[in-house]
Amino acid sequence: MTRRALVEAVRGAAQRVIAAPGGLGVSLAFYLVIVGVLSGLWRVAVENNGGDLAGYSAVALTWYIITSESATVAIHARLIADIGDDIGSGAIAVELLRPASVLGLRVAAEVGRTLPKLAVLWAAGGLLATIVAGAPPRPVALLLAAPSLVLAVVANLIAQHAVAGAAFWLRDAGSAWFLYLKAVFIMGGMIIPLELLPNGLQRFSLFLPFRAMAYAPARLAAGYIEPELLLQQLAWIAVLSVLAVAVFSAGERRLQVVGG
Amino acid sequence: MGIEARALTKVFETGRRRSRRRIEAVRELTLSVADGERVAYIGPNGAGKSTSIKILTGILHPTSGDATVLGITPWEDRKQLARRIGALFGQRSLLWLELTPRQSYRMLAAIYGLDRAAEPRRVAELGELLGASDLFDQPVRSLSLGQRMRCELAACLLHDPEILFLDEPTIGLDLVAKQRFRELLVRLNEQQGTTIFLTSHDVADIEHVAKRAIVINHGEVIYDDEVAAMRRTLLATKVVEVGLIAPLAAPTRPGVTLLEHTEHTMRLVVDTLVTPIRAVLDELLDGPAVVDISVVDPPLEQVIAEIYERPPR
Repeated sequence: MTRRALVEAVRGAAQRVIAAPGGLGVSLAFYLVIVGVLSGLWRVAVENNGGDLAGYSAVALTWYIITSESATVAIHARLIADIGDDIGSGAIAVELLRPASVLGLRVAAEVGRTLPKLAVLWAAGGLLATIVAGAPPRPVALLLAAPSLVLAVVANLIAQHAVAGAAFWLRDAGSAWFLYLKAVFIMGGMIIPLELLPNGLQRFSLFLPFRAMAYAPARLAAGYIEPELLLQQLAWIAVLSVLAVAVFSAGERRLQVVGG
Repeated sequence: MGIEARALTKVFETGRRRSRRRIEAVRELTLSVADGERVAYIGPNGAGKSTSIKILTGILHPTSGDATVLGITPWEDRKQLARRIGALFGQRSLLWLELTPRQSYRMLAAIYGLDRAAEPRRVAELGELLGASDLFDQPVRSLSLGQRMRCELAACLLHDPEILFLDEPTIGLDLVAKQRFRELLVRLNEQQGTTIFLTSHDVADIEHVAKRAIVINHGEVIYDDEVAAMRRTLLATKVVEVGLIAPLAAPTRPGVTLLEHTEHTMRLVVDTLVTPIRAVLDELLDGPAVVDISVVDPPLEQVIAEIYERPPR
């Protein structure tokens, strides 16, 4: 598949989001409520702990939360279930008529659909964090957090496609969707920085890809200049891509589409 | 040879291990279609039409058997084949609803690797051919079904395919849109030599588009002949529906069968090989009793039932 096709898929999907901005408005409202509540709770916790929690200040935790939440809220919430429905119902068949990778085009289209939302949410979150907590702890770290956010979204989208591919066998990915989201919530560091997890769970999360989907950009935005986090994200993207390609290749061979 | 299928079989398995059921959707299907033919591929619901088309377009892998389309085994080299064929499934859109057709074509052109400079020229050509240029800049969701189907056809012709697979392309269209769509397909075949492989439940699609008809049922070919021959034998009956404002005796000519007769309606079946339809219409209209009259094709199921009733050749 050519780079031009992928670029067009990203562009076309972004155009669709911009053409119908209603969904973007709903996501923004939801995001601001969640971020407002969670960052408020964390600031109280930090103050009650003497102004520091596992090295995070109140300001750092606020920037952590606005970043981790934007990385996940920007992604279509029911993506796994929807991909599963497309596979189970056979709607995916039309995509097999194109001389291109179904997985590649789907991931590219979801990246395009997510990026405009991500930009709006992170900008709004940054504004909110500045107003309620203060300027970012180390503004230069945001230069690393921005590409890390894009990598987080890409890793998450590829992983969701790999999980949803189970529908080629099970014809439904609804239950997988629920479990996956909970894993990102906790072991991806979406609502709690990984340093605050119990030791065992913290060590366990090191071996899972979820940390690449929220924790990495959030840690950077919190002021920790750790470029190795981006390398870890790239490594997880490579691993998840191999997994997703394997699932879709095997799944496409056993696709069952009965009738028109 | 455009399409060749030999003993193609597809079995679907459903249910859990203990209650697993095997459904044989296509059974030992053998057929061949030459380049430039216009073929109607027909059968009742559940006959295996859509499944066999999905095998021939590379979407599904067969359980056994062999097939080539333009010399390519579809399920082994789906992407290479996709560059040379077009497919339109009446109930599934190739376009993105939130975009205009032109924006969708731009994406499809990138996917098919069309030359950037050639793309606007090709879109303009198709707009002219399909009489749809004025539709290309309207959002797809605002188009009527007939307008959308013309834009869908442009989408599957964008890369100039050698074979066009059409699965129920006229479903849901009104009479005018259907007629226009049929004319487009014939023009495409005659002007560009595109092979047309069409499934439909509408007998008129078969009569107006195809030169050859292949009928399948239970996954097997049960009839394969010229549409002209089919018209002479199987499509010779017409149903006449009459609205009445006064009592009228039913025609008693040979070849005319009365299906229903009430105070205000009458339904007849006319075997046109025995009595010309004109003679029946003339008799019915010779007086003031008739306020409405229509002549319709028999349903496809009836045509297929007649195939079963014919003695084997």
